[in-house]
Amino acid sequence: MSDQTLLSLDGLTKRYGAVTAVEDVHATIRRGELVSFVGPSGCGKTTLLRLVGGFLRPDAGRIILDGEDITALPPNRRPTAMVFQNYALFPHMTVAENVGYALAIRKRSRTEIAHRVEELLALVQLQGLERRRPAQLSGGQQQRVALARSLSLQPKVLLLDEPLSNLDANLRIQMRTEIKRLQRELQLTVVFVTHDQEEAMSISDRIMVMYQGQILQAGTPSEVYEQPATPFIARSVGAVNFLEGVLTNGTRGVAMVATPLGTLVIRSVVEGVTSGERVCLVIRPETIRLGPPDDGAGPNRVQGRIESTMYTGALIRYSVGVGATRIAVDLYDPRHSATFHEGDPVTLILPEDPHLLPA
Amino acid sequence: MPTELLLDRPARFRDLRARVQVRALPTILTLLLVAWLLIFIAVPVAIVLARSLAAKGGGITLSHFAAFFGKAYFLRSLTNTLILGTGVTALVMGLGFALAYLVTRGPRALRFPLRVVALTPLVAPPYLFGLALIIVGGRRGFIAQMLGTQVPIYGWPGVILSQVLSFLPVAFLMIENVLQSLDPNLEDSACDLGAGELDLLRTIIVPLASPGLLKAALLTFGLAIADFGNPALLGGGLSFLAPDAYLMITGEWNTEMASVISVVLLVPSLAIFLAQHYWLKGKSYTTVSGAPTAGEERSIGPWLGIALILPCLAYVAAVVASYGVIILGAFTKLVGIDNTLTLEHFVKDVGPDAIWTSVKVSLSAGLVSAVVGTGLAYLCMRTEIRLRGFLEFITLIGFALPGTVMGIGYLLAFNRPPLLITGTLAILSLNMIARFLAVSLEAGVSKLHQIDVSLEEASADLGAGVLTTFRRIVLPLMSSAFVAGFLFTFMQSMISLSAAIFLVAPGRLLASVYIFNRARDGDMGISCAMSVILIASVAVCLWGLSLLTRRTGMRILAVRT
Repeated sequence: MSDQTLLSLDGLTKRYGAVTAVEDVHATIRRGELVSFVGPSGCGKTTLLRLVGGFLRPDAGRIILDGEDITALPPNRRPTAMVFQNYALFPHMTVAENVGYALAIRKRSRTEIAHRVEELLALVQLQGLERRRPAQLSGGQQQRVALARSLSLQPKVLLLDEPLSNLDANLRIQMRTEIKRLQRELQLTVVFVTHDQEEAMSISDRIMVMYQGQILQAGTPSEVYEQPATPFIARSVGAVNFLEGVLTNGTRGVAMVATPLGTLVIRSVVEGVTSGERVCLVIRPETIRLGPPDDGAGPNRVQGRIESTMYTGALIRYSVGVGATRIAVDLYDPRHSATFHEGDPVTLILPEDPHLLPA
Repeated sequence: MPTELLLDRPARFRDLRARVQVRALPTILTLLLVAWLLIFIAVPVAIVLARSLAAKGGGITLSHFAAFFGKAYFLRSLTNTLILGTGVTALVMGLGFALAYLVTRGPRALRFPLRVVALTPLVAPPYLFGLALIIVGGRRGFIAQMLGTQVPIYGWPGVILSQVLSFLPVAFLMIENVLQSLDPNLEDSACDLGAGELDLLRTIIVPLASPGLLKAALLTFGLAIADFGNPALLGGGLSFLAPDAYLMITGEWNTEMASVISVVLLVPSLAIFLAQHYWLKGKSYTTVSGAPTAGEERSIGPWLGIALILPCLAYVAAVVASYGVIILGAFTKLVGIDNTLTLEHFVKDVGPDAIWTSVKVSLSAGLVSAVVGTGLAYLCMRTEIRLRGFLEFITLIGFALPGTVMGIGYLLAFNRPPLLITGTLAILSLNMIARFLAVSLEAGVSKLHQIDVSLEEASADLGAGVLTTFRRIVLPLMSSAFVAGFLFTFMQSMISLSAAIFLVAPGRLLASVYIFNRARDGDMGISCAMSVILIASVAVCLWGLSLLTRRTGMRILAVRT
């Protein structure tokens, strides 16, 4: 993957009356990259996508695509293509007519269109359905037609607006893989909008977490998951425990943090925090281990009691009470692990390298 | 346990009572409604049909039809009527589409004013523009008086112009509704794929809107050919079918020929109705359900912009000018000639009586139509009555038939016992109810679509009987539909002319008929003054109606007019 910037958003702002849907957004997207905008509904991610597609005019800011300022161009003259949440297939046209629409508008010859349509349908594995109407297709098939149609002009950037939200769970995962495959195969640059953090993390090269019209953090999925910039981001990309405490001793990369659970030993790299300051430990449930009560000696062992269990197949989520604090702990592969029941006393083994945020 | 017993007994009692109510009530109500609809819709139409085929000594004959088609005069009327219908439909559709396109996709600042102007003709009697045209360009109009030249408004130009202005609002509403309910993503998507605005119109908007456009065109055609007022006022030497039917009745009492003309007028209306009901059903591509979205502004290029906005401006100018002329005419001695301000037209002659009569007729029609319509809607939507399709069908027939036909039908059906009501005010009310009941029904059905059945089930689950549920749950929720049905029927009854003109007894006065007659006699001052009162009262109703539909999301008028 080259590091060359293809699309850059430069201070984009969009207001609706008193509401600012997108506020001074700066972002760059590299050639061949799949970037997700993720955030709760109303965070401005779809507005941002529509700005890039040209369906909305920004109140401020510029959109630079491949060195060209496209801010003022209408959608029909932008080299972007969008897949809409509801696919927006033309109901009065066949699959072939839908996929060939852009070429027909450009007055390409009939044979050229037919050839290209065949190629595109093969790409999304829909050969043989040329004459069907959108209403005669399943949700997944409609999704593929929409993808094929959006690729017909070889767009410089493919925009996907919650493309999987209308599919059922299994199909969603299948289409996710499919989109990833197409993106790699055709070396597409893709901007993907979703509210589903798991979807975003699984598919993206980078994700941008949005809230209230702003990008809070941009980074690879593991960066955002493991080193979230704020508690809000930490929460929006997965389950998490927060422990507040005071950093007491910071010598040689080993620190002590006094928390409601007791004093914990922390070996994480601690930057910009000095002794005596309040910090917030970000601890993911799967990084905590559980042992029988009084499970040997070692740092970061805390005695607690199982308050509830939730079995989901792949894992059991325990809620462990330590005094007034509840800690979520995930135990994977429950069939091959020692499991606990409600009321059982347990030892919590907390990680020594949690992510640290200033409180 | 005692609490259980306390709860148990009334519940069982209610259950029993509910069961009796459930079985008996709908059946009785249905039978009553069927009788009503048969007597006041089916019988008059059947009698018109029978009369057109009745031989002198009894039996069936086609001789009246042969007489109609054998006479050059009637054939010319038929041709004129068809030409008029086609021309007016073409103009109304073009103009209506331009207006609806601008209102749904044009610059935001233009949308509201354009829409208001587009809808204003709704509140006027359907011949108001004819009236204004005569005041301006008639034989004694002020152009003739001041410039000394005659403007050729009588004949084609006048009739077409005044009909276009009269029928545009309904077509506009239907087209607007269609354009609004197209999924905006489809247009965005086409645009994204490189379509320009003309491509969009050609490949997406028009094809997707075509069922709705066709419906609007058919409706306009039906309205234009059945219109009585404008051709009668402005036809000049040209003959048209609806005025011919009137002349056959009032001039010669030739009920056979009037019936034949009615049947000829009825054929296209019935065809339109059947087409709407069976053929176009389910052919809709309108994909957005529920509240239509306020579309983004589309950048409209200069050429298309001019092509859209010029006719709209001309239309706006004509509407504003017409209203201006009518208002001036109402408050001056003789507009254009003696511009002294006066209120004398408002009190002169029997105008106020006529308005009062209209209000009485329209009020009673509105009330009954609302009660029966919402009740019918409830029966159709919530009980499993067998005659449901039939009830709906008959009601819609009453709405779809030209007023002229319903007028003649009533005249022939109710001028002898057992129902001798010709000449009374009751016949006018009954006629209006029969013709506008469909709108009350529509409002009720659309409201009931919004009210989930589970609300009623929840009420029943909590122990309420059928009647209690109806009174406590359904009635309060349906009240907006009731008001909508009432307002619409009231409005239409106030301004409608084509049926009423057959049914008003010589001694009685009805505003719409009275204004029309005064206008034909050249008494413009009174016509204008009474029109102003009529328009004002109807405008208030329309305002209430639009407020209501906006607040409750009910869809009437635009969906199946």
